[in-house]
Amino acid sequence: MNYSSELIKGTLKTIILKLLSDNNKMYGYEMTQKVRELTADKIQITEGALYPTLHSMENEGLITVESEFIGKRVRKYYSLSVAGKSKKAEKISELADFINTMKVLLDLRLQ
Amino acid sequence: MYQLNDEQITFISNDIRARGVEMESLQDDLLDHICCIIENRLEATGDFHQFYANVIQSFYKKELREIETETILLLQNKNYYTMKKVMINSGILSAIIMSVGIFFKFQHLPGAGVLIFTGILLFSFLFLPLLFVLRLKEKQHKNDKILLGLGSLSAILISIGTLFKIMHWPGANVLGISSVVVLVLFYLPVNLVAGIRNPDIKMNTIVTSILIISGCGLFLSLARSPQGSELQYIKNTKYYLRNDMLVKNELALVSTIAKGGNVPAISEAGRDVMECSTLLKTFILEKETGEKELNENFVAKHAWLGESYSENFFGESSPATKQLDNLRTVVKRYNVFCAGHRSEGLNCIPDETVIDANGNERVTDALNNLAQLQLLVLQNERILQVSHRLSLRN
Repeated sequence: MNYSSELIKGTLKTIILKLLSDNNKMYGYEMTQKVRELTADKIQITEGALYPTLHSMENEGLITVESEFIGKRVRKYYSLSVAGKSKKAEKISELADFINTMKVLLDLRLQ
Repeated sequence: MYQLNDEQITFISNDIRARGVEMESLQDDLLDHICCIIENRLEATGDFHQFYANVIQSFYKKELREIETETILLLQNKNYYTMKKVMINSGILSAIIMSVGIFFKFQHLPGAGVLIFTGILLFSFLFLPLLFVLRLKEKQHKNDKILLGLGSLSAILISIGTLFKIMHWPGANVLGISSVVVLVLFYLPVNLVAGIRNPDIKMNTIVTSILIISGCGLFLSLARSPQGSELQYIKNTKYYLRNDMLVKNELALVSTIAKGGNVPAISEAGRDVMECSTLLKTFILEKETGEKELNENFVAKHAWLGESYSENFFGESSPATKQLDNLRTVVKRYNVFCAGHRSEGLNCIPDETVIDANGNERVTDALNNLAQLQLLVLQNERILQVSHRLSLRN
């Protein structure tokens, strides 16, 4: 089963922060593959969601970019900035808290 | 595993651009991403063009450009929140700084001017423009956008006008009046035309119009009419001319008394003060009116004393500043001379009759102060002459 894009959109920033924290530096395609691998294809990040989010995070100063030439094309490696590192902890604990709240909320509804 | 050649990479790169993606960094991201997919998933002998067509389609719903649109939207949203934060903070800061400045002003504490100045600057050049830009995004109709622009312009003009007024910069009144003109001649008609036909906002439009007219009316009742200004300038000039006449009379009196007895017309210290102050008077008069000396015809020539501040004439490089320093020195010397003759009844010259180059002294006051200074010197001289004659008689 694939999750809906709405669900992924709200958590994409947190996913990217966590990925970059665990892998030092990554390029876009690598990120999508890593997420597929970790979630057994359940979460598939689309290019249409990934790149706008990466650019916005770069603009916010959460990530930094290094460019590397591979033949005729440029590969952009993204890594966490100092601000991104502290944001990662904040976003993960926020999402964890949200999951717990949702559990309570949805269990209540299911009763 | 497929191996892309340079030609194919150029083809993809051109295609991304042709599909409307203009941001270079996004082009790089997409190119590398597509190349990775092809290299990893296409078999070595696979059909590049067919595979590429399928891959690129999976990137979007309608067209590739939507990735760039989404990116720009996210970037602008970020700016929007930053701008909103800066607007609120600059607004709060300017309100606090201005309030503290006004408190300092009424308590006569130092720093009031700097605080009020900074407060108005923040308000006029940061808060109001940001408020305009952010509100503009929210407005849908053209009319609302025009009204917002005119309202903001008027507010900025009145705010800068006030700043000019307190800094004694020229053009303050022009800015203030322009603000009223924008409000009454442009904002009001646009607002009326747009609002009066809409039953939902008709009442609000009428109330707003009344408030604008009353507000501008109150503002203009406080302002002086051009004719009123002219009358005030004539009054200022006549006041100075009377003082000048007193000085001339006193000078004639001193000379006459000197002729009658065998006494010097004027002491050396006194003469220095008279010369220096006359030079300064002439300088200020010429700067303000264009004439070296005024007579009864000043009204016809419009050569009157307005409301400029004498500090405008005293810059670091101004010759007047040197003359003013000279005057201060000779007055000091003259006061020592007076102290030596206190027994004969001479009075020292008070400091405030010498121009304060940094203070808030208008030209009329500066000239009248100089005239009083000269009167004091001349009267002292007269006292000296009389006492001299008395001592000779005894």
